Amino acid sequence: MAELNFTGFRTSDEVVGIRNRVLVLSLNSFCNATVDIICQAIDGTTPIVHPHGRNEVGIYKERLESSLLGFVLNGNVQAVLVVGYEPESTTRFVEMVKEKTNKPIEKLVVLGNGTLDAARLGAEVALNLVYQTSRKKREAIQVSDLIIGVKCGGSDTTSSIVSNPAVGYVVDWIISNGGTAIFSETTEIIGAEHILVRRAANQEVANRIKEAAEANERLAKSVGIDLLGVNPVPDNIRGGITTIEEKSLGAILKTGKSTIQDVLKYGQAPTRPGLHFMDSPSAATEVMTGLSAAGAQLILFSTGTGNPVGNRISPVLKITGNPRTVTSMGSHIDVDISDVITQNSTIEKAGEEIIRVAVEVVNGALTKAEILHHNEFALIPVGL
Amino acid sequence: MKKSLDRENRVFIHPGDNVAVSLSDLDEGTEIQIDDEVVVLRDPIYFGHKFATRDIPAGEGIVKYGETIGVATVDIAAGDHVHVHNVRSLRGRAHG
Repeated sequence: MAELNFTGFRTSDEVVGIRNRVLVLSLNSFCNATVDIICQAIDGTTPIVHPHGRNEVGIYKERLESSLLGFVLNGNVQAVLVVGYEPESTTRFVEMVKEKTNKPIEKLVVLGNGTLDAARLGAEVALNLVYQTSRKKREAIQVSDLIIGVKCGGSDTTSSIVSNPAVGYVVDWIISNGGTAIFSETTEIIGAEHILVRRAANQEVANRIKEAAEANERLAKSVGIDLLGVNPVPDNIRGGITTIEEKSLGAILKTGKSTIQDVLKYGQAPTRPGLHFMDSPSAATEVMTGLSAAGAQLILFSTGTGNPVGNRISPVLKITGNPRTVTSMGSHIDVDISDVITQNSTIEKAGEEIIRVAVEVVNGALTKAEILHHNEFALIPVGL
Repeated sequence: MKKSLDRENRVFIHPGDNVAVSLSDLDEGTEIQIDDEVVVLRDPIYFGHKFATRDIPAGEGIVKYGETIGVATVDIAAGDHVHVHNVRSLRGRAHG
């Protein structure tokens, strides 16, 4: 078992972080330019920009608001400068956020200042936020302080034989130590729901897992789509995956064997420890944006053929069991567990290797996606 | 999960399945011993791809991980490549 020596940043809320990020958060598309100027001027800031924020309704509005709020509440975020267009909606958002967090939250309005003056004012505020938060010290934290997101992408046959079962081993280890884990990708439970349903904490959770899969399948049919044309995708098929059932049965191995405590909406934070399923479309960027909004401080990403995708708030650890991918996509791989295939090593040893590297990243070591500026973000995902 | 490899670590199979997974690029004609049976590959089977470990008639389920991952659309012989050209999904289809 890996030696446990976790450190992180305690926030003024109950949550802890493994990074001390200062967010500069755009509330709508025409504040993005202001945010970009501030973040170019001020080192140590993390820009959150997006093409939304005006006149959304229904599920779009719900997902936008839960995502923006979730980013602010994520333990990796220590302070936030909110940049809105006009005073009313900006103040409304900041007041709503302040009811849920004691972190430093500042606001900036573009209307009446213009982009350049707003950026100058905002840069001074951001400078002070970075100055303060950069002085925070790391303290000892526990596994039970961690919320880990798990995601697979660029799946091939090695995902189901090596990387997904090894991530499943890590998930079971985190849960058995009082931690929290979240998996997602509703399309990729289709064909494997019966197995997840057996692991549900109670009948209600079981029903909600089934309903999520059925709703996803209905959505595909309602728009006349044969899921086979969407998922598995061409790189899955080239890698040897034939049907969505096969992909799903391999994908759920990354969830281990733990009991599923609850089903979360997109970006919704868990309210108890243990394993959770988040109902979400399956594209990597959208899933991981939702995982950060739900509070994941770290994301374990198992891959077969490789995938460069990262995330602005939660470091993404790339894990592969495919020896060819270690060579061809090595600049994106943090954990190489291909010796399960090349040297007949075990899933348990592979899981311990993931834990060893994850502890380094929790303690501040950078992932390849962080170093490469792979900061993909996508709000309001509605799709398959 | 229990790993089940053939003697030469070239293929992976879960007990009770009717397909096995290649862990290297295998040529047509390669002989693979699985338990007491020898399967002769009738197609080249690339890394990560599947072949039938016994004859699978059209309409019968393809079993991997002990679960059905789709059905054969044509008669598949032991040693044939098993993939999108001879298997269809049972889920998420627009028609039927």
